[in-house]
Amino acid sequence: MTAPARAAAHARLAAHELTLAYEDRTVVHGLDLAIPDGRVTVVVGPNACGKSTTLRALGRLLKPRGGAVLLDGEALARLPTRHVAQRVGLLPQSPLAPEAITVADLVARGRQPHQRWWQQWSDADETAVTEAMERTDVATLAERPVDELSGGQRQRVWIAMALAQETELLLLDEPTTYLDIAHQVEVLDLVRQLNHDRGRTVVVVLHDLNQAARYADHLVAMKDGRIVATGTPAEVVTEELVREVFGLPCVVIPDPVTGSPLVVPGTPWQPPGLPDGTPAPGPPASPADPADPADRKPAPDERPAS
Amino acid sequence: MRPDPPSGHALSRPRFGQAFRRAERVGKTHGSGQPSRMRPPGYAVLRFRKATFLLHRRSGAVTAALAALLAAACLAYLCVGETYVPPEEALKALFGHPTPHDLVVGTLRTPRMTVGLLVGTAFGVAGALIQTVARNPLASPDIIGISQGASALTVGAMTYGLTSYMVLPYLSVAGGILAAALVYVFAWRGGLHATRFVLIGIGFAIALRSVTTLFMTKGDYLVAQQAQIWMTGSLNGRSWAEVEPLALALLVLLPFVAWAARAQRAVTLDDDTATALGTRLGGVRLGLVLLGVVLASLATGAAGPVDFVALLAPQIARRLTRTAQIPLLSSALLGALVVVIADLLARRLFAPTELPVGVLTAAVGAPYLIWLIARSRTVRNGGTA
Repeated sequence: MTAPARAAAHARLAAHELTLAYEDRTVVHGLDLAIPDGRVTVVVGPNACGKSTTLRALGRLLKPRGGAVLLDGEALARLPTRHVAQRVGLLPQSPLAPEAITVADLVARGRQPHQRWWQQWSDADETAVTEAMERTDVATLAERPVDELSGGQRQRVWIAMALAQETELLLLDEPTTYLDIAHQVEVLDLVRQLNHDRGRTVVVVLHDLNQAARYADHLVAMKDGRIVATGTPAEVVTEELVREVFGLPCVVIPDPVTGSPLVVPGTPWQPPGLPDGTPAPGPPASPADPADPADRKPAPDERPAS
Repeated sequence: MRPDPPSGHALSRPRFGQAFRRAERVGKTHGSGQPSRMRPPGYAVLRFRKATFLLHRRSGAVTAALAALLAAACLAYLCVGETYVPPEEALKALFGHPTPHDLVVGTLRTPRMTVGLLVGTAFGVAGALIQTVARNPLASPDIIGISQGASALTVGAMTYGLTSYMVLPYLSVAGGILAAALVYVFAWRGGLHATRFVLIGIGFAIALRSVTTLFMTKGDYLVAQQAQIWMTGSLNGRSWAEVEPLALALLVLLPFVAWAARAQRAVTLDDDTATALGTRLGGVRLGLVLLGVVLASLATGAAGPVDFVALLAPQIARRLTRTAQIPLLSSALLGALVVVIADLLARRLFAPTELPVGVLTAAVGAPYLIWLIARSRTVRNGGTA
């Protein structure tokens, strides 16, 4: 049994010694990764750690410089892209809709890998599109042009398109970007629901560590193009790891609602002129690291400059 | 456990789950027990046994209307001229019944009109394909140097004594492909950026035009004059000898155009999304551009660079059909319509002096081009360019 075949026994989608580069800049170095079947895997890490790049490679949007991505034990690069699209769906970070396209028309584009030019609209297409639109609550927007929608509505339309593709594996690149907190929760709940109802394998790149800890079955933490830790959120999200990966002093407490780890960053910066001795509200910074407010790194939930 | 949001909260909104249940209820009230079915709005589904086709209703109506207009324009084309031919006589002549107007209609006007129809069709489709791939309405073959490449090589051959209608069309195609390849190579910088592609194309168009001028000054006086008329785009004196190779070439390309009509859809999405949906983007793009370049070059070879038809027709067609992608069939019909009407006007406007048809299309197209460029900045800000 070869190494790739062994990996496939545990995970339909896996990366084997994956090296990824943009022109001469290597972003991901010799990465080994197995996406557990039927689970929600969340990839986290600071800006420019290569998490989105890795996801793009898993969805064959980026050709590996070295190593391979394996789908059902076969190198992704060798499979016809149409066959990949029947098994793996991917929603990029900032997709662009054609001018003046309507919502239902865009969602229907998700059916492309299942269609031929002489089979442009089957009953299965209609069922998948109807269901995807109802699940994402965009059925009432069906005839509206996508250009006219709000950011939250538009994101739901794109997710509907990815759902209409009906793939067993679904890769989402920062699906909560541009959304307010209520819509963020909605989208992530939907991801969970899909995973639960259909047993779909989902991989999500998120920049919010707390959301990742809440929604992940399996968490992958990356830094500088390498995997630092994998496991359940409770195993991965620790004060040491957050300091190591994000360079952020923090405390980790149990989430009052879910019990998953909740990261609370150290004391915010305060004007130096304030009288000393008044403790800042909220939990103190880690005792091992007396809070030096000036050291606080920016929070990881900023958009990568791309 | 998640605490319930306070009831009646201003910010609380229906959740996905609720929406799903609501849709089911709506379905039940219709008695079908099924949630309402969703189809792309404005499309009808045609079924032939196992095959299904999506037909955009508005595009269908636009196509029918354009076809009717085109038929009327063609009839007018055959009737109007130095000698007026009544419509019924013109139709008789067209369908081969002996009439006294055989010479005027059958020998002079019909072949000229047919070349116009074919050229317009080819330009319309070529413009639609290249504009789609470049995602830019400015990227039409007559703007980005393809027609100019075809012209340069053709005029070059003419000045060296090659005037056979069996060879010139192939030279046009070679010139067009060569120009497109040059623009592509120079515009490529780790990726293809639409604006850079168009600007470099415009540069090449100017450069190739001066190459053509150079050939004309090198060649002898008669050839230069002939080339000059051809260069403005003219249908004057076209006979069945020119119709045949052009019609044959277009017939061969027809299955590829049928493929393009569907493949084009996938290219309108952004690169990542299109790839994720299983489009072999590199291959599809190359195929569409190559088809567009060959069509534009063939048309240029037959009538010269009839300016702006490839630019105008697809954009008007899209505004008429209001589809997310440029409609190929409507673009083709509009291209033909524009050329036939323009040539009719070119023949009669300053009769007995005939203008080259390209002068007329340029008179309409140039203001449109200026408007397009003036508008393009605001479109960019809207994020849809």
